[in-house]
Amino acid sequence: MSNGFNTELKAQQEWSWLLTIWLFLGGSGSGLFVLYLTFGLPSFYGAVALALILVGCIDLLVELGSPFRAWRTVLRAGTSWLSRGACCVSLFIVAAALSVAPRLEILSSFVPFHDSLAVQVLGWFAGLCAVVIILYPAFFFRSTSRAVPFWNTPLLPLFFVSYAVLGGAGVMLLLTPYVSAPSQVETLAIALIVLNAVMVAIHLADMRRADGSAAESVRLLNRAPLSWLFWIGVVLIGMVLPLVEIVFLRSTLALAGAFILVGGFLFRYCLLKAGVYVPISVVPAGVDLSRLNRTSTNFEREYAGMVTQRAGRQG
Amino acid sequence: MAVGEIAKAASGKAEARGSIQWSVAVDLKRCTGCQSCTIACKLENGTPPGVFWTRVLEKEEGTFPFAYKIFMPLRCNHCADPPCVEVCPTGASHVREQDNLVLVDQNACIGCHSCVVACPYQARFIPSSSKGYYDEQTPYESVSYKKWQAGTAQKCTLCAHRIDKGLLPACVETCPTKALTFGDRNDPNSELSKLLKERSHFQPRAELGTDPCVYYLT
Repeated sequence: MSNGFNTELKAQQEWSWLLTIWLFLGGSGSGLFVLYLTFGLPSFYGAVALALILVGCIDLLVELGSPFRAWRTVLRAGTSWLSRGACCVSLFIVAAALSVAPRLEILSSFVPFHDSLAVQVLGWFAGLCAVVIILYPAFFFRSTSRAVPFWNTPLLPLFFVSYAVLGGAGVMLLLTPYVSAPSQVETLAIALIVLNAVMVAIHLADMRRADGSAAESVRLLNRAPLSWLFWIGVVLIGMVLPLVEIVFLRSTLALAGAFILVGGFLFRYCLLKAGVYVPISVVPAGVDLSRLNRTSTNFEREYAGMVTQRAGRQG
Repeated sequence: MAVGEIAKAASGKAEARGSIQWSVAVDLKRCTGCQSCTIACKLENGTPPGVFWTRVLEKEEGTFPFAYKIFMPLRCNHCADPPCVEVCPTGASHVREQDNLVLVDQNACIGCHSCVVACPYQARFIPSSSKGYYDEQTPYESVSYKKWQAGTAQKCTLCAHRIDKGLLPACVETCPTKALTFGDRNDPNSELSKLLKERSHFQPRAELGTDPCVYYLT
């Protein structure tokens, strides 16, 4: 006999494709911007990173129930990770635009300031904001983890960093037919894919060992329709195929980049959709529910005759 | 505690800000699963289709012939450490200073769904539209639906508007078996505190550290 009310396990339905799109565009855009600064890449990459985040912001507005109040999201930076993220996204857009625009040929004639120290400082400030944009969803999800144990893992920030930088590398590989990428990007992509595979395996094994909601999340990932997206999308397309292409088929780097991006997108979707709530209310052990409605009733004694008759009939 | 006494307690403690912690004790032995509280809440707060600020779960327990039904009314637990407030990026979800009720400022909510996911009791709702139960809003719906906004979070307020007038929450007042007891858990003389001293009880999912203000008497 189960000793509890409403013990069924239910996955969250609030967040789906729209938030996935933001997590993907925000993460990959920020990752690309960090790579752009780290490797001193052409400003074209900075512009692409900014464009990705701008498109992501539009998607975020669509996701909100009351988008016209979106400005309010910057009001609780002291307590809410969502608010901190919103502040950093706003600052990133301004700082990245001011630092990238003077270096772009198309825009440089319209911008009064050029390659100065201020532009460089703005660039690094935008980079700092990009790091927060990469990390804040991890801390935000962890702040909701009392309801969704699947997100309660110290690996979450590592997942978001790794997938964001991999997303940036994926965009660079995708653009290789048009702009050549530094050779380190391929090595970086290989290392991050392997790291992601190890972390995903550790996380799933860890959650599978746990009871209740966390284990149900792992079961969801292994059950259709999510299992198709996870095993074919995240593992095969997002990990195995890009690895094979980068290592053995170097002529298809752009395709490898596309696969990496598809895998990163679906990883975020799976992470969201596998979020299973803790059951609303489980009666603690030791509470005898059979005594709740009829305190003085001993069911076993009351129905003993019926049991004997039934046993007799069956005999 | 009688309605008048509640009002007296509320006004008397107004000066001691934050010392009141309105709570509800649910007597699981008395609850018959009649859903009166569900309907009373619907009538009082005019919630849209599919949204139930309070509802009664029922569960079949045991095996034949020892089978029976048990009931558990659910609502927002007005936690002392509410996860929904922590995640809110706008401050729309807040704890009311004078009595620690967890409320939502519908004019500040952006509908980001964070609080809905963060609540371990699944007690928050974001209706996407103001559509009523029929094709067009009924006269009742056109009036009552003005109490909330579509696209923003809503939840049980423990009938804060009634408490402020010295009335009991609609569900508590309606319950025909007196299964629900409303009171200040910080007041040792309240009926609720006395009940908690006398009867064995548990808080839902207390292990999550939310310190819910709903108690189930067993």
